[in-house]
Amino acid sequence: MNPTLKWIGISLLALVVAAYVVLSILAGGPKDALYMVRYALPHMHRGNLKVGDQAPDARLVALDGSTCFHIREKPAGRPLVLVFGSFT
Amino acid sequence: MQLYDDYKEHVDFLTIYIREAHPTDEWQMKSNEKEKDDVCYAQPKTIEQRVAIANDFTRRFKFPVPFGIDEMTNGANDAYAAWPERLYIVGEDGRITYKGGNGPFKYDPKEVRAWLAQRYGEVKHPQPPAEKKS
Repeated sequence: MNPTLKWIGISLLALVVAAYVVLSILAGGPKDALYMVRYALPHMHRGNLKVGDQAPDARLVALDGSTCFHIREKPAGRPLVLVFGSFT
Repeated sequence: MQLYDDYKEHVDFLTIYIREAHPTDEWQMKSNEKEKDDVCYAQPKTIEQRVAIANDFTRRFKFPVPFGIDEMTNGANDAYAAWPERLYIVGEDGRITYKGGNGPFKYDPKEVRAWLAQRYGEVKHPQPPAEKKS
């Protein structure tokens, strides 16, 4: 085997292992690193919104399960703090 | 939510429930399984399931903040790149005034508090008395 190719292969493997170790530390364990790649990374986005952009609107469902309303429904006049999250 | 209590007279708050971050059928966290937390839900597949979990959450924590649930099309989540958790402030003019980072590592309510404090004044809370050393 060409020694250059061999060293490129070894370097790439070392990079992959290092990345996996870092992910494992961030995620809390080796198994969590796999789950992070599978389930978290595809849904995490920095987004294109910037400070100064018009805030987008979206339709939401109320806790009663039947009423709908919009994020930007209230007339302007007061700032609006948006808290996005889930239970788990 | 202390921030809400401190500034609800000045600004509106809206909590938006989006797709679960650590459901049982995806990346479940061990901390969610502990008896004290017991927060174990599968990723909702229907809006009825989302509504049920959102109601569990607000009841369990007696959550006072106005609450909305993202539709199954994830329109709010996509528009704000919100998953798994994120904070924004929309100004009186309808423009983004503050954009927080993605949680959990860059989710920082202290930044929102600082913005509100700068605008409406700091709200101080009495510190519990320090325990005396014996």
